[in-house]
Amino acid sequence: MAGQDITRAGEALRLVQVSKTYGSGDHPVRALDDVSVSLAAGTFTAIMGPSGSGKSTFLQCAAGLDQPTEGRVFIDGAELTGGSETKVTKFRRQRIGFIFQQFNLLPTLTVLQNVTLPLRLAGKKADRKRAIEILGRVGLRERIDHRPAELSGGQQQRVAIARALVTNPSVIFADEPTGALDSRSARNVLALLAEAVHEFGQTVVMVTHDPVAASYADSVIFLADGRLAGSLDRPTAEAVAERMTHLGDQVAPYAAVGE
Amino acid sequence: MTVFDLALRSLRHRTGGFVASFLSMFLGAIVIMSFAAMFDTAGGAGVDAVSEETLITMASVVGGWGLVIVLFAVISTMTLSVRQRAGEMALLKSVGATPFQVGRMIVGETLVVAVAASLLALPLAAGGGWFLLEMLQETGQVADGVGYAFGSAALSIGIGVTLLASVGGAAVAARRAVRMRATEAMTAASIETGRMSRKRVIAAIVFLAAGLNCGILTATLFDGKGIDAMQTAGQASIWFSIGLALLGPVLVRPVTAALAGPLRLVGGAGGYLAVENVRRRTQQMAGALMPIILFTGIATGTLYMQSIENGAPPAAGSSIPPDEAQAIETLNFVVVGMLSVFAAIMVINTLVAATTYRRREFGQQRLVGSTPPQVLGMVGMEGVVLAAAGVLFGSIGSIVTVFPYSLARTGELLPDTTLAIYLGIVSVAATLTLASCLGAARKAIRVPAVQAVAV
Ligand SMILES: Nc1ncnc2c1ncn2[C@@H]1O[C@H](COP(=O)(O)OP(=O)(O)OP(=O)(O)O)[C@@H](O)[C@H]1O
Ligand SMILES: [Mg+2]
Repeated sequence: MAGQDITRAGEALRLVQVSKTYGSGDHPVRALDDVSVSLAAGTFTAIMGPSGSGKSTFLQCAAGLDQPTEGRVFIDGAELTGGSETKVTKFRRQRIGFIFQQFNLLPTLTVLQNVTLPLRLAGKKADRKRAIEILGRVGLRERIDHRPAELSGGQQQRVAIARALVTNPSVIFADEPTGALDSRSARNVLALLAEAVHEFGQTVVMVTHDPVAASYADSVIFLADGRLAGSLDRPTAEAVAERMTHLGDQVAPYAAVGE
Repeated sequence: MTVFDLALRSLRHRTGGFVASFLSMFLGAIVIMSFAAMFDTAGGAGVDAVSEETLITMASVVGGWGLVIVLFAVISTMTLSVRQRAGEMALLKSVGATPFQVGRMIVGETLVVAVAASLLALPLAAGGGWFLLEMLQETGQVADGVGYAFGSAALSIGIGVTLLASVGGAAVAARRAVRMRATEAMTAASIETGRMSRKRVIAAIVFLAAGLNCGILTATLFDGKGIDAMQTAGQASIWFSIGLALLGPVLVRPVTAALAGPLRLVGGAGGYLAVENVRRRTQQMAGALMPIILFTGIATGTLYMQSIENGAPPAAGSSIPPDEAQAIETLNFVVVGMLSVFAAIMVINTLVAATTYRRREFGQQRLVGSTPPQVLGMVGMEGVVLAAAGVLFGSIGSIVTVFPYSLARTGELLPDTTLAIYLGIVSVAATLTLASCLGAARKAIRVPAVQAVAV
């Protein structure tokens, strides 16, 4: 127990000069370009930037869902990069939770089965009590025997959050978790992520396009053209929106040339 | 843009999805045309009466069975490919396509594939027919002087039957797809009820009854009549196996229930997922089960029937002279050979198509934390359930041929022949099933999980 507290007190995520190039032919796309980031444990960080700036790529490399072309990634001080898919997966399911814009729940499993799946895959006991408790936390205790197709988008995303929380990961990544939701469901989801950080000491890294969603975070990191383009602490929705418009100016210099 | 354009576009973009349908039409066209060429050959100048009769029997009996199997194969691959696209159909309907337009699109796509398949089959069928005649002449069943002809009968029957079977299969599949309301279809894409339509149950019962009837006739009417009993015995396992294959969704359940415990115990998370998948996807499983049942049932039935015949004493009551018995043996082996190759390809097709289609699902599992060995373990265990169910019900299907024939020819219910043939058939069925599932799954998880989920 004490050991866990010590690692969580330190650095949760570290990217060292990470680059990612897609395709190797005539037109390789450099989606991430020499990005280095360090995030303390127990923080809530939003990643923002124009479409195509590399936010999803950043998140996937950081979470071990994709291998960076260059650079290294550390979670809780342990290196994530460099292993086989099997090795990275085993690492991932101990320390990382991931939430997708499109939920990615398994359609053949019930809500409860979806939530206990990460435990089963890790060869642990499918702790029903813990799963139900977490489903209660996200307000779905009554729906545990439903299938995903029988739930609304907001409810499905809450199941996905419960699934990400069930293994008690130190870092939770979320790629536009509110992108497919109405504003009420979105607030609900954001509050749950904030709760994971402030009540349970977990670290959340969330990609979003929405300045209001970003304002739930402790800080915002901006990306443009695959590179870091500044950050903002204790963001308000207005300040974020303001920064985003300028970010647009920076990455679109051609507009100025054309005038 | 017309619906036909849409059909062509969809063909171009998802060639993979049509491979299974194409192959079954292509092979079907080859088989039907090769045998129909025997009609052309029989109609040639200077063909003696005996040769003519052999040729016509060959063309009608074997060609007729080919037709049944092709029809079956096309319907099942088409149903599979249409069901896999339930989501796309739902999307089309939700943007305003009428059921008629969706149906026409499916039938249009199929027609294009069927025309291509029959045309490409032409040269191979011409060669196949020639080979068939060679074989008949070599075994002395057709006079050496008979010249080979590949003409109007081969073309009209071959192409006509292939197109009809394909369009018929597509229409059946499309009707089911378009009858669902748009919102219903959206959910049906992810969950299924697992219930069978009444028509399907009735069809299954009719086939089972026909098979049983043939079995009873064999044991009663043809008792002591020697090889004559093959007339009914040979068909019995074919009809009965088709009946069982139609009942697939119901049959797969008890097998899953029986295997659930051991699989969970041995298979860990993979076993658990395999059991859940088979339970919730009985329809898809049944599609894959069909060819395994047919292969096991028909191959076991026919080969044991011949094996019993070869070991039995000549019967006084037979109306067939001994030299014709040899022709019948050839016929049996041709039928079994043809049906087995067909069924084997169907097994591979169906399983590869069904497994490849699950790329996204595998991707989702990997994202949740399945390692590649866990995904393969799950697929392997689903394969075990399938192979077990297929072999079990295929064996049951063969009983209506084997037991009555043995009774009619030797007076014993259990044939006194080698077990090796059966073991051979079972290993081929199991190997085909597992190799197809695992091979396709290995390929499906080569794509990075994030990309597999995105498409
Ligand atoms: N699998 C891939 N193959 C090739 N290029 C890719 C691939 N995935 C992403 N890219 C490219 O990499 C760049 C960054 O993509 P990424 O998805 O990370 O952007 P994003 O910031 O998440 O955009 P959005 O806000 O639209 O989701 C884009 O130019 C994209 O076209
Ligand atoms: Mg993105």
